[in-house]
Amino acid sequence: MLKHLKVETETQHAPAAPIVLGRVFNIQRFSLHDGPGIRTTVFLKGCPLHCLWCHNPEGVGASPSVSFLPEKCMACGECVRVCAHDAHRLEGSDAQGSVVNHVYDREACEKCGSCTEYCDSGALEFVGRPMSGDDVMKEVIQDRTFYASSAGGMTISGGEPLAQIDFTIALLRAAREQGIHCCVETSGFASWERIRTLLPLVNLFLYDCKEMDAQRHKDFTGQSNLLILKNLQSLHAAGAKIQLQCPIIPGCNDREDHFNGIVALAHSLPHLEGVLLLPYHPLGESKLQRFGLSPATNMPRRPLDPAQLDHWANWLRDQGVRVVNTPGAPTSAPSP
Amino acid sequence: MSPTDIMTEPSYTERLEALRSSKAQQTLEKQRIRGAMDFDDHAVILPPEELRETVQTLGGSGVYFTDVLLKSFRPTPNHPNGAFYGPRATGENFRRLLEVHPVCIDPMSSLAGAYVANFMSYRTVPWNPDFDCTELLAEHAKYQTIPAIGGVQHMCQDMEMGLKLGWGGILEKIHHYRPLNPESEDFYAGLEHVVLGIQNLIRRHAEGARQMAAEHEEMRQNLLEIAEMNDHLVSNPPRTFREACQWNLWYQSVARMYNSSGSLGRLDMILVPYYERDTKAGILDDEEAIFHIACHLVRDTAYIQLGGPDLAGKDATNPVSFLILEAAHRLKIPANVGVCVGKDVEPKLIRRGVEVLMEDRIGVPKFLGVDNTINGFAANGFPVELARERVYAGCHWLAIPGREYALMDIVKVNLAAIFDVAMKDMLADSAVEPSIEELWSRYQKHLRSAMDTVAKGYDFQYEHNHKVFPELVLDLLCQGTIEKGLDASNGGVEFYTFGVDGSALATAADSFAAAEHRVEKQHRLTWKQLQAHLESNWAGPEGERARIMMKNSPRFGNGNSLGDEWAVRIARAFSDTVKAKPTPRGFMMIPGLFSWVLNLSMGKHIGATPNGRHASDGISHGANPDPGFRKDGAPTAIAVAVAAVQPGYGNTSPLQIDLDPSFSHGADDVEKVSALIQGHCNLGGTQVNINILSKEKILEAHKDPSKFPDLIVRVTGFSAYFASLSPEMRQFVVDRLLCEDGGK
Repeated sequence: MLKHLKVETETQHAPAAPIVLGRVFNIQRFSLHDGPGIRTTVFLKGCPLHCLWCHNPEGVGASPSVSFLPEKCMACGECVRVCAHDAHRLEGSDAQGSVVNHVYDREACEKCGSCTEYCDSGALEFVGRPMSGDDVMKEVIQDRTFYASSAGGMTISGGEPLAQIDFTIALLRAAREQGIHCCVETSGFASWERIRTLLPLVNLFLYDCKEMDAQRHKDFTGQSNLLILKNLQSLHAAGAKIQLQCPIIPGCNDREDHFNGIVALAHSLPHLEGVLLLPYHPLGESKLQRFGLSPATNMPRRPLDPAQLDHWANWLRDQGVRVVNTPGAPTSAPSP
Repeated sequence: MSPTDIMTEPSYTERLEALRSSKAQQTLEKQRIRGAMDFDDHAVILPPEELRETVQTLGGSGVYFTDVLLKSFRPTPNHPNGAFYGPRATGENFRRLLEVHPVCIDPMSSLAGAYVANFMSYRTVPWNPDFDCTELLAEHAKYQTIPAIGGVQHMCQDMEMGLKLGWGGILEKIHHYRPLNPESEDFYAGLEHVVLGIQNLIRRHAEGARQMAAEHEEMRQNLLEIAEMNDHLVSNPPRTFREACQWNLWYQSVARMYNSSGSLGRLDMILVPYYERDTKAGILDDEEAIFHIACHLVRDTAYIQLGGPDLAGKDATNPVSFLILEAAHRLKIPANVGVCVGKDVEPKLIRRGVEVLMEDRIGVPKFLGVDNTINGFAANGFPVELARERVYAGCHWLAIPGREYALMDIVKVNLAAIFDVAMKDMLADSAVEPSIEELWSRYQKHLRSAMDTVAKGYDFQYEHNHKVFPELVLDLLCQGTIEKGLDASNGGVEFYTFGVDGSALATAADSFAAAEHRVEKQHRLTWKQLQAHLESNWAGPEGERARIMMKNSPRFGNGNSLGDEWAVRIARAFSDTVKAKPTPRGFMMIPGLFSWVLNLSMGKHIGATPNGRHASDGISHGANPDPGFRKDGAPTAIAVAVAAVQPGYGNTSPLQIDLDPSFSHGADDVEKVSALIQGHCNLGGTQVNINILSKEKILEAHKDPSKFPDLIVRVTGFSAYFASLSPEMRQFVVDRLLCEDGGK
């Protein structure tokens, strides 16, 4: 565990109240694409799905990870000095005797984060700090004025927030206590019991709809969509406010039968807030290298043509589906 | 005139396009002849080639540029050094300049006039050496403070007074009070010269328009109207909306020519009586009104406030507020229009302002946190009704029209230079153990010392400026100057509230934070090692590693960081020091945070600083965090940070935000940007400047600015053509926009 985190946890509440710690891989202020208004999006680590097109690969694994950008390394040797597991080596030298290669052995790395503490250049970064709800709220609360002026708030995203349900609940409670509007962006892949616990705490669910065909869903994400769709119906029946988030991935789900499925689904959910189409951008690939991951061989590499976004939006609208995208306006890339 | 003739006159839209096009050509010519211009476009045009000569002048950011003089004018000196000083000689020389100023009429415009000369450029030795300030300037230089001495304008005239009196009425007023104050004979003589010069200029334009009418069949009617209108305005007050616009343009052009003054203040309130009268009489419609305003704005980038409370606190937004915004929108040239944001300001005006900002992407309009500047000014002990009279009048500044000599945006206290002095002072003292608290204690001591010098500088300015270069054009529209026979800079007006801007807040805050974090808390460096790195300017690989380490310390703007704590502490100390006591003569000073475009030149003589800055690099911009302050570069983080350091006495500390258009999400963009502005003002913000610029476009334009002649950016309190800026200033704008990549 990192030194400064120890200090933070030691100064937390009275020992009677157990502190739920979560793994957070990013907190993004002035987030304009994850729900209404100006928001702060809290990204939690861990996801049960493995979408081919995932653009937050650092959010998939539940445990912390270390991002390494060799081009930022200044070969100062601090990481070599502090690493107890010999995961860092500086090798080779040029004509002037300068070190030219920083070798990071991910197998040997215990992800303790010590090296990142001393990496001043930012070449090594610890991703997935354990944080308490209060730690996160300290950051979230800073923009509360803007939540009020824009009807915005906090969005918990991931990864998959349901995978860290206790922390998600703690965070939502803390935000609600401050009167902050809360969205949860979820794949819906979890037990209904888990999802149900969020009902009183979430103002708007941003619910993924990645693929309507069960087998294809399994091919693309590693899991079938049966549970997801069932949970969606239950959530709707329980009166939750829901916006469907539909990524359009060229070569994967840009098919009429998938969109027909969305139409049928939307019509079966009369209180749905709307459908948001998310055009695919292959942003995840550059991130994979930073985490020592290889792209899947069938990873989509082509961004969606904006005209296609308009085409499918109009296609859905023509069939009576409320699409919340503005014609001609780009939106963010899809969640994992 | 037959109906056929009327049919042939181009439409307002066509005329506006023609004006825009000639403005574009004039701008290209200015860029070609004058080189870099790191300041407001000012709408000045070049004189015809046969009338001009060029001189090399040092610009505000330390870059040489070519200024243009009229061959036909040489000032008459009254001092052995060959310069001229004092009201009579200044007025007389200015009158002679106006008398040789060429007639400039664009037949497409509904208004005559454009200015081609800067009177300031003929002032070869700006300060009269008989009033010795060598020692005082040396004291300022110790902390690299920009002094008040020799500062001009930066106040706001009372336009309504001028529109009521006309030039004839002003002349009569001078004649009335002249015998009552015989000791001010030189002052009145100077004022009279100025008015006679202006009348000569207007009269010649009326004649010029009449002559042009004979040659321009298409625009004959317009030119004859211009001739008749200006015949009338030589002595009389304006009767119509168009005449009021023409009168305003004459005043502003002359004020610009005299000493770069240019404040329209609350133009919507000033013009609305003419608008109402003319529309009621059926002689004006909105399209025509927009056109007249645009004809003014194309020739004058004066600062304008739209909306905001009247004396009783009721929002004064009126139809003309929207027409002015529309005129700026249609022109899409640098303009300095500010829209008020406050709890009672008409929401439709704010919304329309944001729509124009987002559609035009030229940084126009800006937004004014009017409730906070009013309450802040009242916190100095003034009645809130008086505070409501204070108007937006310049880059970041405000003044009570005709009643307040504030000289805002002149004095710059260089907080990084004070840090530099304090740091060297501590490290050179072998009797003390260096520590962050010791450094802070010395910093405060030097800050007080710097402020004592500023205060003495202000008193010196008050005592002598009127004998050197009095405010003869502003004096014409002040309450009390003509009556008392005193210049505005020397007791002529009611209120003296000297502005003092702190600059380099982020540089100082990040330096304190980095030293505390890395030296005191983490023990990664010793004070001695830090000293060695600073003295060697981070030399060698070791130095570079140390620099990156220091730079990546918790920064101002990140939120809840050590840098944020230091910024608040420094801003408060600065504000408290400014407010701690008046000048020795008893004048109030008011703090703000602003660096204008001096952030590059103000760093030139400062050594390396612990925030990872190299020696001679620029200092941070205004009250903003330095680029790279936070990974996501979140505009809300900047907005929260800048709100937290507001001094709170009515002078502004603007927020500068640069948004990449890719943030755009659709229909509710306007609401989100409005919410960002509103949110900052709710937190205490006083002014918001926003650029919406694509990174790709700005990088492309940086490579070859000539490819983007229409690209306009909000540099700081003003907007300017990107291609007109020096390479250094362009780089600064680019760095700011790419701030999220600035971690290294």
